Amino acid sequence: MASHAKVAQKFARQLFAMSVVDGTVSADRVAGVLEYVEKHNVPNPVMVLKAYERLVSIELAKGVAVVEHAGAISAATLAAIESAMSKKYGRAVKARAESNPALLAGMRVHVGDDTYESSVAGQLAALGASV
Amino acid sequence: MSTVLEQIEQQIAKLSSKAVKKNTGNIRTVADGVAKIDGLSDVMYNEMVQFPGGAIGIALNLEEDEVGCVILGDVSQLKEGDEVTTTGKLLSVPVGKALLGRTVDALGQPVDGKGPIDSKETYPVEKIAPGIIVRKSVSQPLFTGIMAIDSMIPIGRGQRELIIGDRGTGKTTITIDTIINQAKINKVGLASGDKNFRPVYSIYVAIGQKNSNVVRTISALEAAGALEFTVIVAAPAGDNPANQYLAPYSGAAIGEWFMENGMDALIVYDDLSKHAVAYRQISLILKRPSGREAYPGDVFYLHSRLLERAARLDGKGSLTALPIIETLAGDVSAYIPTNVISITDGQIFLETDLFNQGIRPAVSVGLSVSRVGSAAQIKATKQVGGKLKGELAQFRELAAFAQFGSDLDAKTKAQLDRGSRIVELFKQPAFAPLPIELQVAVLFAMQKGFFDPVDIKKIADAAASLKNFFTTRKDPLLAEVRTKAALDKDLEAKLLAACEEWKSSYAA
Repeated sequence: MASHAKVAQKFARQLFAMSVVDGTVSADRVAGVLEYVEKHNVPNPVMVLKAYERLVSIELAKGVAVVEHAGAISAATLAAIESAMSKKYGRAVKARAESNPALLAGMRVHVGDDTYESSVAGQLAALGASV
Repeated sequence: MSTVLEQIEQQIAKLSSKAVKKNTGNIRTVADGVAKIDGLSDVMYNEMVQFPGGAIGIALNLEEDEVGCVILGDVSQLKEGDEVTTTGKLLSVPVGKALLGRTVDALGQPVDGKGPIDSKETYPVEKIAPGIIVRKSVSQPLFTGIMAIDSMIPIGRGQRELIIGDRGTGKTTITIDTIINQAKINKVGLASGDKNFRPVYSIYVAIGQKNSNVVRTISALEAAGALEFTVIVAAPAGDNPANQYLAPYSGAAIGEWFMENGMDALIVYDDLSKHAVAYRQISLILKRPSGREAYPGDVFYLHSRLLERAARLDGKGSLTALPIIETLAGDVSAYIPTNVISITDGQIFLETDLFNQGIRPAVSVGLSVSRVGSAAQIKATKQVGGKLKGELAQFRELAAFAQFGSDLDAKTKAQLDRGSRIVELFKQPAFAPLPIELQVAVLFAMQKGFFDPVDIKKIADAAASLKNFFTTRKDPLLAEVRTKAALDKDLEAKLLAACEEWKSSYAA
């Protein structure tokens, strides 16, 4: 079972590598990969596709800045975040707003596995941890 | 004026709204004290990571798309999907004299209920051992207070001497005796006001032991007044394997503080067999490839990097290590024992047979060795006990041979007789270390034949009487032996006279 998972993981990585063009995931290539898996007799297709989906979602998350905010957020702010993050990561980063009243005030931005915390809830949590 | 205030307010606003960057991940699986985490792309090897609920972990496996962490603390509240954050810090423990007399866990947190530890400094748990240039050869003795060891297998400050033997052969007792002896020497030395006196502080690391055993050790140290010079690092059998894996490194970090600050320290790892087992458990759960006896490939490095941290530093202090290894059926050629034997500077081998015969400490003279040798002995011990090891080894050989026949020549009989007396003389009760000057006096009496007329069964009694005689009536002479640390003609004559005096009083 473990070796099946490893083989599937390795194959998914190869498929993922083929899906990336100029540092970004290409929709056409992904469609091509899905077609290939469907038509050919790929062993453990579910396992392969799940591993492939995980790799693609990690890569896609690097191009999206999820902006959690409490209260209203202007389009200008989102544009400023987009521009700052694109500059920082050296790739196109799209901002997506998500309302989260639990933050109390301020915002929290996620890009890939980086989190930029400037919410009141986050500061209170940090203060609580330091006491 | 208002412009100035506005500037300050702007600065405050800028600071208070400054975003803090964190590198995060999410728990993918958590089982057996190990979590597999998605994300954490910036995590470093051995970095502390923060789990929700205050638990911390250490990143041990950095794989292509996931990170394997061992969790230190309560894992019951953790679940799949929980956010994990990097801290940018390597695992550190509090160090310093504030830890003396305290019992701490693998993270340096007190577990003795005596309140928080007021420590101002921390040292990283994992540290590269001192290099060649900063080291100095081992030449200062570290007295264990056990006559058989101090006279035949001497230990020096900065040495790594392995204590190896089956279960129940007195391995821990030897180390506790050594710690108690350091405390006794420290008390005498500090009371004397000698500016050149260097106390030895002790660290006892209990790995995978029963809590009751740890309590017994603490009680023994407390009863002997040695706890005030000792730090106990406890990772008992009930602790998770990650804590058991880390405890010796934490102890080494605590010891390194003494060494780096010009002091001498002694560290006991009790025991490294259980440490290797804890590491094997972690490695198997992390799915690292296993090798001989299912231990991972880096099990040698596990112990070599730990024991290499014991050293004598030029211009600074020293850290002496006494690792313990438990063998199965006396098999010293097993995997972990051979590894540790090859890393250390000698071993004290304890035999079950000797122990059962009542020869305690059950030190096997033939298999025990100190690679530092007489460089770590004072001249007086060399003078009175230089030939003991050879004599005793010869005795064991002859004793085995003598079992086959009764016709022995006078010389052989004399050698057997002498050997039996030495064996009797080396018997010592637990938790009663002997000061080196008293050891010199006893060995001197033995070398000069004062025990020859005594019946073998009464040797222990005679030795106790001699020790009592010297401590109660010849204290200035003992002090002279201690300070001179060598026997000149004058001192030899005084010792001889004292022994004659004892002989007449004992015979009477």
